[in-house]
Amino acid sequence: MGDIPKSDWKVQRYLYTRDISSAPLITLLLKYVDEIYQPRNEEEVMEILKMAKQEGATVIPRGAGTSGYGGVLPVKDIALFRFSSRKTIMIDTTRMDSFEINEDEQIVECSPGAVWWDIEKKLNKKGLTLRIYPTSAPSSTVAGWIAQNGTGVGSLKYGGIAENVTKIRVADFNGVKEVEGKDLKYYVGMCGTTGIITKAWVKVKEVEDMHYYAFHLPPHKAGKLVYEGEHYAALYLDEGYVKLKNQSFGTNLPEKDTLMIATTEKMSEGDEELGEEIWETRFYPMRVRKLGPGLVAAENVLPVDSIPAYLNALHRMVKQPNGSEIWYVKGKKGAVLTFIPSDERKFLNYALTWRQSLRALRTAKKMRGVPYSLGLYLSCESKLLLKQDYEEIREFKKKIDPEDLLNPGKVFPKGVFPLIIGIGQKVVIL
Amino acid sequence: MRVEKEINDLVTACAQCFYCRVCPAFQTIKWESVSPRGRVYTIKGLIRRKIELEPQLVEDFYKCTTCGACEEQCQTTLPLVDIWEHVRAEFVKEKVAPLPAHKKIRELAEKSGNPYGEPQEKKIEWIKGYKYNESGELLYFAGCTASFRAVELAKNTVELFNKAGVEFTFAGKDEYCCGSPFLRTGQRDIAYEFFKKNYNEWKKRGVKTIVSSCAGCYRTILIDYPKIAKELGLDWDFKVMHTSQLVNKLIKEGKLTPKKFEAKVTYHDPCHLGRHTKVYEEPREVIKAIGAELIEMDRNRGESFCCGSGGGVKSQFKDLAGAIGKNRIQEAKETGAEYLISCCPFCKYHLKQMAEESGVNIKVADLVEIVNNLVGSSDIKAEDIKCG
Repeated sequence: MGDIPKSDWKVQRYLYTRDISSAPLITLLLKYVDEIYQPRNEEEVMEILKMAKQEGATVIPRGAGTSGYGGVLPVKDIALFRFSSRKTIMIDTTRMDSFEINEDEQIVECSPGAVWWDIEKKLNKKGLTLRIYPTSAPSSTVAGWIAQNGTGVGSLKYGGIAENVTKIRVADFNGVKEVEGKDLKYYVGMCGTTGIITKAWVKVKEVEDMHYYAFHLPPHKAGKLVYEGEHYAALYLDEGYVKLKNQSFGTNLPEKDTLMIATTEKMSEGDEELGEEIWETRFYPMRVRKLGPGLVAAENVLPVDSIPAYLNALHRMVKQPNGSEIWYVKGKKGAVLTFIPSDERKFLNYALTWRQSLRALRTAKKMRGVPYSLGLYLSCESKLLLKQDYEEIREFKKKIDPEDLLNPGKVFPKGVFPLIIGIGQKVVIL
Repeated sequence: MRVEKEINDLVTACAQCFYCRVCPAFQTIKWESVSPRGRVYTIKGLIRRKIELEPQLVEDFYKCTTCGACEEQCQTTLPLVDIWEHVRAEFVKEKVAPLPAHKKIRELAEKSGNPYGEPQEKKIEWIKGYKYNESGELLYFAGCTASFRAVELAKNTVELFNKAGVEFTFAGKDEYCCGSPFLRTGQRDIAYEFFKKNYNEWKKRGVKTIVSSCAGCYRTILIDYPKIAKELGLDWDFKVMHTSQLVNKLIKEGKLTPKKFEAKVTYHDPCHLGRHTKVYEEPREVIKAIGAELIEMDRNRGESFCCGSGGGVKSQFKDLAGAIGKNRIQEAKETGAEYLISCCPFCKYHLKQMAEESGVNIKVADLVEIVNNLVGSSDIKAEDIKCG
């Protein structure tokens, strides 16, 4: 493997067998990756894939490991209903973090491990800015977010990541190819199960003067106001979340349902000081974790008109202190992220709190909602999320990866996880 | 490994968001085991017995300059530097640390009273010819690096004090190491011994305010000493200042009227002065007062990139310290500045070395050296500073 940086040290393998989730008991079904590689370019990615194919090893691509859906976690072969064990290789894209800005075309050509906020800082120097970015932008990577099919800041105006990349390059066992247009669906949100993203062309825009307004509104009125204008981004914090935010930030925000709109338009009403304060803390939604210490979260995307009923249901269902924030998305949808602080060391209580995440998903589904992403934990929901594309993408996966070496167990349901989560949703009434 | 409940609570609160990826060691080495998130996982793994305490793990844990860049970005506002130092002290208790270079420094300090192993009597030599008092309310704490390795800084500082008519006392051979190298590397007991010696000396001389020209000493005396005093049941009523703060005050009071410094400069925030103690503006105010054109590096103030030499890294991991320092030098070069100014002899010493090794033509100087050369005449050779 030439001189590609590599580690098979046990401690390193332990450290890379993680994402931001801490699901109880799940670790029993996970294993350590066997080797971690840090390729520096596309050729080295191909070299690793070639070796994996020869050895019959599975391959997990990893950006910053900042997702909570288990998309980068290595699953025990037995948990995938395989009775012979396979080696698992991780491709860590940390060293592939370069990017080039094309000012004329307003496109950034990004290596997979490029970090969103590094890109934004360089863009700003040229009077440009990202159209959309995740709320984990200070650390999360371009390919990582594409592999999650993310929506985030700016998605109210510009939609999800699929609408904001013009083209990607992907490596699989047959070589490297460029993909654009309708074919992006084979890779966006697929957690590397269909190929390793080695480059992405991301759309950017000119910097505009932005104003931030806060309003204290119930969710149905908030949803209406958000879509009345051509706004850039909108974030709703329910009263419960504002309380958690005050406790964890040491702030004294009015403990009411609050909507923040970021817009280039001048609005006649709204508290600009509060709006700016909420905007400035947009990258810190998980600060509430220190209240546990530990956190159980649920993230579902719902039609805007379903959100008030969904929040009501959550309030009735979850007895512990909890709160939700909603990033509104183009097409009258909202990504609702619910936080329940819980001490992750108190096993029983923490495990019982986790069932709230499944209850929230089940409730969302009844209200035409879908999970935000699939990864490992929610692969059982892939038909719901991918809808009519599911079978086509599954056939595509079989064709390019017949031995299921590319990130097995993710997105396409297989083994124990979909059973557990499927059954779990049915019995969460406990 | 056993750790206090408080540390267990703190590492459990880590959101694992990786905003701490700004860590200069991680930016250089690129593996999780040297990243702050990796270190938090490591502590959790050790507490929960998922991994064993092994030499490579300990070594990687020490590949941290304790610069605090991680803490500045931390989503859950964890006191990460305190956590690193606490765990390093646990490693020492478990006898898997200190690392060889840190152990050597301790041996030297035990014999001589300073980490360079120099005779304490030398601390009195550089000040010959300058006016100071045997006792008094204001004490100049030169620190070991300025006393033995960057003497020009200590000389410029007291010469400037003399020019401004600042009355001060100086402990000379009775000025012991502040203990910073030992607190940062988990060797707390010897730091406590030095604390006691310094504390008693200051009390004996009637000191009320301590001024240090070393960012590391300043951080230690300002933040660590009151905690140690509390643990030992001693009163702590000293005021602590960094020379940049005193010089700024003297300029504002009209006690120093420096000539104009017509140069393009950039300023490197020492981690112990900036992130650790939040002294960001006073040095910049002095730079503004001398009329220099300040061009900020991309990463400045709370986001400043470490010089690479702190936390025991320079002594134990020279290549890592060098790579981090060269990165910072490159950033300074990109500003187009002629001078890279800092306020810490340790930063200056290391950055100057790295500029030379990188072949980058930038003059590295301490702020006090520059100001002193702009006030009246000086007997100190200032090879790189053109004034007037």
